[in-house]
Amino acid sequence: MPAGQGVVEGNEIPYQPWALARKQENHNSRLTADPEARCYLPGVPRITYMPYPFQIFQFPDRVVILYEYLHATREIYTDGSRHPDIPVEFWLGDSRGRWEGNTLVVDVTLFTGETWFDRAGNFHSTDLHVVERYTRTGRDHMLYEVTIEDPKVFTRPWKIRMPLYRRQEQNVQLLEFECYAYAREGPDADAK
Amino acid sequence: MPTRGKGPMRTPSDSDSALVGKGLHWRRALWLLTLGSLLIAPFLLTSAAQTQTGCPGESALFHPCAVARAKTFRPPRTVDGRPNMQGFWRGPASGTENVEEHPMTDDDNGGKSLIVDPADGKIPYQPWAAALQKENRAKYVEPNVPCFPSGVPRSMYVPTQIEILQSPVSVLILFERAHTYRIIPTSVRPHVGANIGLWMGDSRGRWEGSTLVVDVTNHSAKTWFDQVGNFHSTDAHMVERFTLVDSDTIHYQVNIVDPTVYTRPWTMAFPLRRNKEKGFRLLEEACHEGERNTDPLIRAGQRIYPGVAEKK
Repeated sequence: MPAGQGVVEGNEIPYQPWALARKQENHNSRLTADPEARCYLPGVPRITYMPYPFQIFQFPDRVVILYEYLHATREIYTDGSRHPDIPVEFWLGDSRGRWEGNTLVVDVTLFTGETWFDRAGNFHSTDLHVVERYTRTGRDHMLYEVTIEDPKVFTRPWKIRMPLYRRQEQNVQLLEFECYAYAREGPDADAK
Repeated sequence: MPTRGKGPMRTPSDSDSALVGKGLHWRRALWLLTLGSLLIAPFLLTSAAQTQTGCPGESALFHPCAVARAKTFRPPRTVDGRPNMQGFWRGPASGTENVEEHPMTDDDNGGKSLIVDPADGKIPYQPWAAALQKENRAKYVEPNVPCFPSGVPRSMYVPTQIEILQSPVSVLILFERAHTYRIIPTSVRPHVGANIGLWMGDSRGRWEGSTLVVDVTNHSAKTWFDQVGNFHSTDAHMVERFTLVDSDTIHYQVNIVDPTVYTRPWTMAFPLRRNKEKGFRLLEEACHEGERNTDPLIRAGQRIYPGVAEKK
């Protein structure tokens, strides 16, 4: 595995001691235990930094983000509506957005406890609360900043940040990454 | 998971699998099903009322009625002047059982054919293809069981909700089923390369008067039209037409040309009815995450449907 510099502010995720042990277990069994290995929806913010393109559509009452990976869909309502007060969990959470100057701020809650942040086993609970900030920094760039809060797993909120780059191809369009269909079609698919 | 009742019918392959979805406690599922029955009641009433005052739902009757109404109906417009089709819609769920006429059985709710041309309501298969259709159901896992994208046109009549959003350069169709979507650019651009096959095909739209016309090519052909194995090949070229015929009904037509499989082009037509429920929105149907029906079928000897390639 090649090296990669972290995107976490301060470089350390502030796990509670039990959670750090659990992260280590996840890491040890990551080849099979990673939800991505089973082609599950990867949660937020992980969906943003999967290695596949996504497309943003803006409407007066919402921002829609469509992802090539697993044809994932997010409808981010910017109409002042609040998270539903119901006991339900979504793999991509429930997103409510607002504009703060030039920044789209998205509050995401109602997550499952099933997704990881990466292939290394970094994880969260159903108490995960994510705040994403999308800010244009140039014609073809955005800054993506995320605050991650989960009092069951971490000792304090923590942040990641990374640039997002616009695709430049003349003919760019979303195609399909049908992860679980490929798994079924593979040479040893029938053995599963 | 099925986040609400699916309306007039629920088919096992389209929704039951997701009931056991991880991350959804049984009590929550129960709560959502209860909510679903509350949500669906007004919707059924709305549908019934529309059927009485608008064109009848049965394709053979709906199609000529809708053609006539489209001549006089002046649709509401978006800010950029296009007919405004935005909102939540549903197609005829019986189509996912079988696009041809089929009786009510223990497995099916039954329904009339969605096919308006040819007039007999039957898919004009070549003899070899008619034989293959009969084999499909026995040999292969119905492609919607593993939560694969339903393709075009099946996505338009899967028994779940559809949302249409319009921008000046594209029309988006979002499907609650397995959170699939279609992006239909309405600006001029060529289809993707001929060697690319897509589950949902490659869509290019244009406005002809008040009708959205969508040209769909590049089908992977790994989808079926329905649960009984009706199929097309990678050669399929589809042209869809979306026309508002009253404020709550879209006349949807799809013409299918596939000389590899059929003796002639054929056409389905049916209504998309508006869901006017206040505060409605699509929920996440995490279909694959809870899907447990495919493995037993594979163990019982069924295979993943490989699709039919174009004959040169």
